[in-house]
Parts: sequence; C-alpha cells; structure tokens
Amino acid sequence: MIAVFNGAVDDISKAMRLHRVWIALAHEDIGDQHRRTTLGPLWLLVNYVAFVGTFVFVFQPAGKDAAGYAAYVAIGLLVWFYLMEVMSLSVSLFQREESFIEGTTLPLFVYVMRLALQSSIRAGYAIAGCVAILLLSGPSIASPWLWSVAGLLLILLVTPAMITVFAFLGAFFPDSQFIVGNLLRVGMFFTPVFWVYNGQEGVQKYAYHWNPFTYFLEIVRLPIMKGEFPAHAFTVTIVMSLATWMIALLLLGRYRRQIIFII
Amino acid sequence: MVSIKLDNVGLVYKLHEKLTLSAPDRRVGRPGGRIEGSGRKQFVQALDGVSFELKAGDRLGLVGPNGAGKTTLLKVLYGIYEPSAGNVAIEGKVDALFNINIGFRREATGRRNIVLRGLISGWTEAEIEEKMEDIIAFSELGDFIDLPFKAYSQGMAARLAFSAATALDPEILLMDEWIGAGDASFQEKAKRRMDELAERAGIIVLASHSEGLIQSVCTKRLTLRSGRVESLTMEPAKRAGTVARP
Ligand SMILES: Nc1ncnc2c1ncn2[C@@H]1O[C@H](COP(=O)(O)OP(=O)(O)OP(=O)(O)O)[C@@H](O)[C@H]1O
Ligand SMILES: [Mg+2]
Repeated sequence: MIAVFNGAVDDISKAMRLHRVWIALAHEDIGDQHRRTTLGPLWLLVNYVAFVGTFVFVFQPAGKDAAGYAAYVAIGLLVWFYLMEVMSLSVSLFQREESFIEGTTLPLFVYVMRLALQSSIRAGYAIAGCVAILLLSGPSIASPWLWSVAGLLLILLVTPAMITVFAFLGAFFPDSQFIVGNLLRVGMFFTPVFWVYNGQEGVQKYAYHWNPFTYFLEIVRLPIMKGEFPAHAFTVTIVMSLATWMIALLLLGRYRRQIIFII
Repeated sequence: MVSIKLDNVGLVYKLHEKLTLSAPDRRVGRPGGRIEGSGRKQFVQALDGVSFELKAGDRLGLVGPNGAGKTTLLKVLYGIYEPSAGNVAIEGKVDALFNINIGFRREATGRRNIVLRGLISGWTEAEIEEKMEDIIAFSELGDFIDLPFKAYSQGMAARLAFSAATALDPEILLMDEWIGAGDASFQEKAKRRMDELAERAGIIVLASHSEGLIQSVCTKRLTLRSGRVESLTMEPAKRAGTVARP
C-alpha cells in the first residue's frame, strides 16, 4: 500500500518537474484545434454564448423567476460543459497519447496535466462569456461571489484526479468510452444544469440530491444566485474530491506500468 | 560510469489484458515470436533469459530475424517496458530513437519538435535555443525545418530525430532500424557522430537488419532469436576475437 502510494507520488512529482513539457503540449493542442480558423479559440466563446442564449430563449420561465435564469443557465452550462469535456476526453486519453507513451519515458501524469491544462484554458473562454452574461443579466457583484471562485478552484483541483480515474477506466475497459459518452449525453437532463429544483417531488428530486454533479454545479452557482455560502454542497464536493484523489493515486501507483501493455 | 547490465531479463506481452463486453475471443496473436497459452490467456514471450553487460565505449549491434525481440529489448533498456522477469541496471542518461511515428508531433514544425524533444529530455527552452542552430545545421534540413513534421520524408524525419537526440548529449543512445532511412552521406555523418559519442565514454545500441551499418558502427554484436540471446561476439572488423555468451 505504501509502495503503491509512493509510486503515484513519484510519478506526479516527476511530472511536476517536467511542467514545461505539458505546458508546451497543451498550448500545441489549443493551437492545433484552431489553426486554420478565422476566430481561433474565440470560437469557444461563441459556442458557449450561443448555447446559453438558446437555453434561455427556449426554457426561460415566465414571471418573476425570469430574472435570474440567464445567470443560472450561464453558470450551469459553464461547469457542466467543463466536466463533460474533461470526462469524455479522459476515457480515451492514453489511447490518444499512444505515440508518446510508446516512444518516451514521460510519467503518465504528464498526459493528465496536459489535458487538465488544455481543458482549463478552453474553460477560460467560457468563463469570460459567463462573467459578461452575469454582469449584463442582473445580479450585482457581492462578496459571496468569492465563494464561487473558491468553487471553481476546487473543481480545478479535482480535475487531474478525475482525468486519471477516467483515463485508467478507458484503458482497462475500452467499452467504457462509449458508455461514458452516452451517460454524459443523457446526464445533462438528469443534472440541474438548465432546470431549477424548487423542492418538488418526483424524478427531479432524486436527480438533484443523488447526482454528484449537482454539488459541483451548486458550489459555483449558489453563492452568486443566492448570495450565501453553500456549506452542504461544499462539504459533499470536498469529500467526493478527496475520494477521487485517493482512487486516482491508487490507480496511478498500482497500474501505471501496465498501461503501455494494454493501449 | 556509464554502463548497462541485464540479468536474466524476460518480457511477456499478454494479449488479452483488457476487459471487454465482447465474446472471448477471436482476436489473433501476431506472427513472428512465440505465442503461448490459449483463449483469454494468450501471451508472447518476447524476451527470455537475456543477460549481457556493456561498459563505456561499447557499440552494440542488435541483430536477428523479424520478431526476434530487438525493438522490445531496446524499449526495456529505455525504460518504457518494465521487464516481467530479471533485472536491468543502467547508469547514464539514455535517449532513444524508435520509429518515426513515435514521440514526434506530426502537426508541429521540425523546429517545434526539436523544442518538445528537448523539454522531454529535461532541458530548458534557453538551453535548447542555444543548440537549435547546430541541430538544424547538422540535419541539413534548411528551410524544411519550419514545415510541419508530417511533410517530411522518412529520411528527413530520421535526420531531424538523430540530430536532435545526439545534440542533447545522451550518454547512452538506443536506435532502432529506421536510422537506415538516411541517405549515404547522412549515414556517414551519423556514424562519425556516434563514434564521438562512444569515444566520450558513451554506449550505443543499434538494432538493424543492415549488415553494412552494423559492421561500420558496432564493436559488438548480439544475435537474438525468439527472444533468447543466440550469441554475443566482438565485431571482427573492429577487433579480433570472440567473447563467449555470458
Ligand atoms: N505490443 C505488442 N503486443 C504483443 N506482442 C508484441 C508487441 N510488440 C511486439 N510483440 C511481439 O514480441 C516479439 C518481438 O517483437 P519485436 O518488435 O521486439 O521484434 P523485432 O526483433 O524488433 O522485429 P523486427 O525485425 O521486425 O523489427 C514478436 O513476436 C512480436 O509479435
Ligand atoms: Mg523492430
């Protein structure tokens, strides 16, 4: 157990020493995706704003609830798209990195950080859009917003662990790539991304309380929507994050040398 | 002191490690080596009881038929594969050149690939920048250095890879077959550079099917067959005498 843990820490600290590699590769990735486009990465911003706009246009409730809905959807989609992108890219991570894994002795965590950085750069464009929507749509800036920032940071901190877990899952169990893809597509409807939970009974009640993603969304959304510190959501998220990190360290420590044989 | 010591090294490729929902199993093993076991438990014994020792200045040629285990042995030496049995002890900074599609970014320019390669070897941007002109000059790629890597011919890619890897001062250099893709004049240059490396007390391990290349570069020859060491001899062109297999 100690040896497994040491193995993981060794892999991670080597990767941190090689931070220049994953920083360079992540920038390459962003550049590649937008190389011959006119707007470049600004497309990410356009995409996000278009999505929020569509949801607000179609689902905005009538009457007094209407005011905060744009902000609600803007934050919901920001976090949800980020998590969805991270998870769906993670399950195929090691397969996509095959050429480097087979040709170099880089620690696996380098690839994890490469994806983590790439995803957060992309999320940065959506955050810009989200802030603009928030400023235009109503709620005035208040000190509880800082809790939202803390929520975002917490999500960033758990990202490498999530990537690790899903990457190992996808490597050892290739079918999971399709399963995860499908679950994520359906998952949006079972997560309070664009629907609002107001204590009603039924499916939405379970989808709200038993869906782990709810809490990731709420730690960013509640401080802005309600102006309060969402203690419960933060507690649940922190516990889940620690658990994810534990699993990630175990997988990394125990199986990192096997990945080369199975991709 | 730069050295390589292998003690009874074995390496097994398991063929059905992945969990899958599909029926077990119609995927077939690859030809060439020793496929053993059956059903879900098929495996290839790619290396078996390989022992040898190399010291500073040695230039080893790895020969043997297709599927003998040459590439696998190089990857074990580099540290990509952890051996399934035995011990590997290596002193020195190792760099390796495998095939062209491995460890390079096809969309990035040659110049950018040199930077990436350097970063991977643990150099800083400034240190790489310092060597950049030397690397480009040695590769003789000229203006092609700013084209994407995917636009290179095999030989051009080999030139770039070799120039970059050797400029980064490895103490042990591992090379698979494809270095032979360079033309005669480049092979001559490459050979001189390998000589320098070996004379600076480095070690070179080169896998090749080209008798000429092995004879001109190497001082020792290791023949592999089905994952086993068949013989380890001194290269007659360089030195007389034969060492018995360890
Ligand atoms: N990824 C892999 N999975 C399963 N078996 C493999 C894998 N790579 C190689 N092998 C098997 O291991 C054995 C040794 O292969 P290796 O690539 O080391 O041979 P080689 O001597 O380099 O051959 P060549 O001259 O064709 O390059 C072969 O039987 C091959 O089928
Ligand atoms: Mg080979």
